[in-house]
Amino acid sequence: MHLQKNTWQHTEQEISQLLEERILAQVTKPTRYTGGEFNQVRKNWDDVDVTMAFAFPDVYEVGMSHLGLRILYHLVNDQPRMAMERVFAPWTDMEAKMRQAGVPLFALESRKPLKDFDVLGFTLQYEMAYSNILNMLDLAGIPLEAGERDLTMPLVIAGGPCAMNPEPLAPFLDAVILGEGEEVLLEFLQTVADFRREQAEAQHTATGSVQPAGIRNTGTQPASTQPAGTGVYGDRLQAKRELLARLARIPGVYVPSFYEANYDAQGRFRELTPTHPDAPARILKRVVRDFDSAYFPEEPLVPYMQVVHDRIMLEVLRGCTRACRFCQAGSNYRPVRERSTERLLAQAEKLVQATGYDEIALTSLSTADHSCVSPLIRNLIAQNKDKKVGVSLPSLRVDAFSVDLAKEVQKVRKTGLTFAPEAGTQRLRDVINKGVTEEDLMNTVTSAFENGWSTIKLYFMIGLPTETEEDLEGIARLAEAVANRGSAILRQKGIKKGVKITVSTSSFVPKPQTPFQWEPQMARAELEAKQEWLKKRLRDRRIQYSWHDARLSFLEAIFAKGDRRLAAVLKRAWASGCSFDGWSDLFQFEKWQAAFEAEGINPDDYAYRPIAYDEPLPWEHLDIGVQRSYLIGEHEKALTATLTADCRTGSCSGCGVCSTLSVSNDLRGKKG
Amino acid sequence: MTKIRIAFSKEDPVRWLSHLDTQKLFERALRRADIPLAFSEGFNPHPKIAFASALAVGVVSLSEYVDIELAAEVDPDVVGEKLQKAMPEGVRILGVTIIPHNAAALMAVINRADYRLRAALTAPVTEEHLAATVEKALQQTSWLVERDGKRGVSTKDIRAGVFRLQASLHDQMLLIETLVQTGSEGNVRPDEVLRVLMEQGNLPVDQESLRIIRVGLYIAKGDQLRSPMEEL
Repeated sequence: MHLQKNTWQHTEQEISQLLEERILAQVTKPTRYTGGEFNQVRKNWDDVDVTMAFAFPDVYEVGMSHLGLRILYHLVNDQPRMAMERVFAPWTDMEAKMRQAGVPLFALESRKPLKDFDVLGFTLQYEMAYSNILNMLDLAGIPLEAGERDLTMPLVIAGGPCAMNPEPLAPFLDAVILGEGEEVLLEFLQTVADFRREQAEAQHTATGSVQPAGIRNTGTQPASTQPAGTGVYGDRLQAKRELLARLARIPGVYVPSFYEANYDAQGRFRELTPTHPDAPARILKRVVRDFDSAYFPEEPLVPYMQVVHDRIMLEVLRGCTRACRFCQAGSNYRPVRERSTERLLAQAEKLVQATGYDEIALTSLSTADHSCVSPLIRNLIAQNKDKKVGVSLPSLRVDAFSVDLAKEVQKVRKTGLTFAPEAGTQRLRDVINKGVTEEDLMNTVTSAFENGWSTIKLYFMIGLPTETEEDLEGIARLAEAVANRGSAILRQKGIKKGVKITVSTSSFVPKPQTPFQWEPQMARAELEAKQEWLKKRLRDRRIQYSWHDARLSFLEAIFAKGDRRLAAVLKRAWASGCSFDGWSDLFQFEKWQAAFEAEGINPDDYAYRPIAYDEPLPWEHLDIGVQRSYLIGEHEKALTATLTADCRTGSCSGCGVCSTLSVSNDLRGKKG
Repeated sequence: MTKIRIAFSKEDPVRWLSHLDTQKLFERALRRADIPLAFSEGFNPHPKIAFASALAVGVVSLSEYVDIELAAEVDPDVVGEKLQKAMPEGVRILGVTIIPHNAAALMAVINRADYRLRAALTAPVTEEHLAATVEKALQQTSWLVERDGKRGVSTKDIRAGVFRLQASLHDQMLLIETLVQTGSEGNVRPDEVLRVLMEQGNLPVDQESLRIIRVGLYIAKGDQLRSPMEEL
């Protein structure tokens, strides 16, 4: 079913015509593919020096809910000589129509084929979207392997949370951007723009050509028509290597092809060595130091169709120092940097005016942690009351303060509240450093029930390090205690409505760059047995239980901690038809199993093997600023259930981020 | 309280918006344009916006209507200008007029829709055959079509709801103009009219190529068709 390259030579006009006349009427949710949203930016390519397509490897409604996309899209388009467009993974019905009609994957703004862009950048939000990346490249008629692409093809790059270990994707990527993108992406694109201009000028001088068309791909000269290693094609490969070398000199940019991975006799990762003079031994991630004044779009895109987060996203702070030991975001986005109330209020006012949304969500890893959150919410509500614009909190901490905040923002509508105790016993919560006690949880839900909520969702993880049956029993016991407390309060208040408690468990996935990176994942059969046990144990009619597919968590664990050898497995799984693996009805586990077998790679070795501290790790050349000694210390403290304080309020935990990245916690409220 | 009626078009690329998306688009555009909306009472206040008639996804319309209740008096021309600026590509504000508080709901009074259809033919058809097909179809007193509904497939007779039907050929393209019933008394879909013609005349139509434009929505009084902007 995969493409025949020679039939994919459509221009944007032809693509547009096929879409409008033939394809869009035949697919579900056509506005996934039309673009044209309010605040969309469409630039004339003759007026820019560099073009990038931001690629989100999932459907439109998921990708358009991603704040990073909105920030980078408007940031790049605010630069007069740069253009960014968007592309999402077409749903299966659209993909079939496109392949049938020979329509290559195109960007929403110009409807130009992705092949025509200078840079194609994928955001890596979760491991199970990797097959979609290969599928999108294929659908775009772009060779998968970086080594097969010369400069007539876009540079294929990636960033985002999973870029902290992009090794399973290494052969497919030309460059990876580590850390927060606001500054480094512009440096990256400017370097590409400068290089292309120099190349065009050099070519102009050499050939005396009157048309300094540069080497931007026009879609008419596929690289494959040139004999490899000779003439223009050889020059182009050399040119690309020169461009990559310049990019590798930008702090925070990692060029995978400038490193060689070595494995031992058993096939286990041994080391990654630089093979190019411009390749640094370690690449340090980038971070925005002054978050308060950092770029934030005030006229963001407003989608037509309902997207997952269909509201204003006001980013109130970045980072979290609560130091939960399983949490990759906690490692990735340290330290905590808050935006000032004054700036947030001004941004909110402009955003309401520019979008027409009726809801402002206060977005961050933990919004209730903002040192000025109460006055912020009060002011936001007052500022927007007359316009009937509401305020919402996407996540709540387990404490009564959070319920007070929820009460404030939801004066009328009593939808459910969600809390994440993560583990069923105090011991295990101490192991993961989730600073929450049973008393905290009971006080929180008491306050919630007393204030009129009757539906509570509780998130837990199963398969955490050191977990025993007692911890599972703890989950059930907590859920029952919450249900009993709710019933008692509702009865007392004379409310007939019953309480509804939803318990949801995900399976622990050890993530790279966290204290648990050395931990194995619990065996699939065991996780499934635990889910089964909980299903039987949670018989209470007030309690509903849902769980994540353990097979998906298994693959997530493999790719999270994977090395370059997994690229072949990924490619094979995709070629056999895997895509949208995160969508349960499209997930084909057997095909993944077959791909591992065919490549002679034992998946268990990645997911289930405890790793010794002295073993080399495939991602250790990527430095997120958090010290290895800190991670080891945290791992050891976990095994003795010893807590580590939040460095905002307690003493410095010595993670190393502030000194390595020359940055510090930036809190806006009064100290102490 | 003020009530306004807006006439607008829905063209490329917004013709792909669903009815729900269109409602949201208006709510947001009205807020962007700072037009003082009136809200419903109750726990979950929402603006009082009522559209004339749902439009199928992908159909271009040159005459849609919406009634909106406002919290303050406004100059309709100013509303039109401000709203146009707050609209994305593909929505043209064609007119804004103040209407009486007690004006009947658009949905209740609009009962005619005028459509143009265009579809490619996969084999040649003569003008004579097409004319004969239309005539034959119009002579019948019953046109049964099957419709997918919430309760499965049902059969409907749409003949009485088709008031005008003309067809012509242009460069291997079949062009149809038809005036049909719409609104609370019943809806005839333009693609159903096409299907009847195809069956009657064995017309070789490439259905994937079908394009539909709604050129007018009207209030029929006797033999007269009136625009919702005049008939208040």
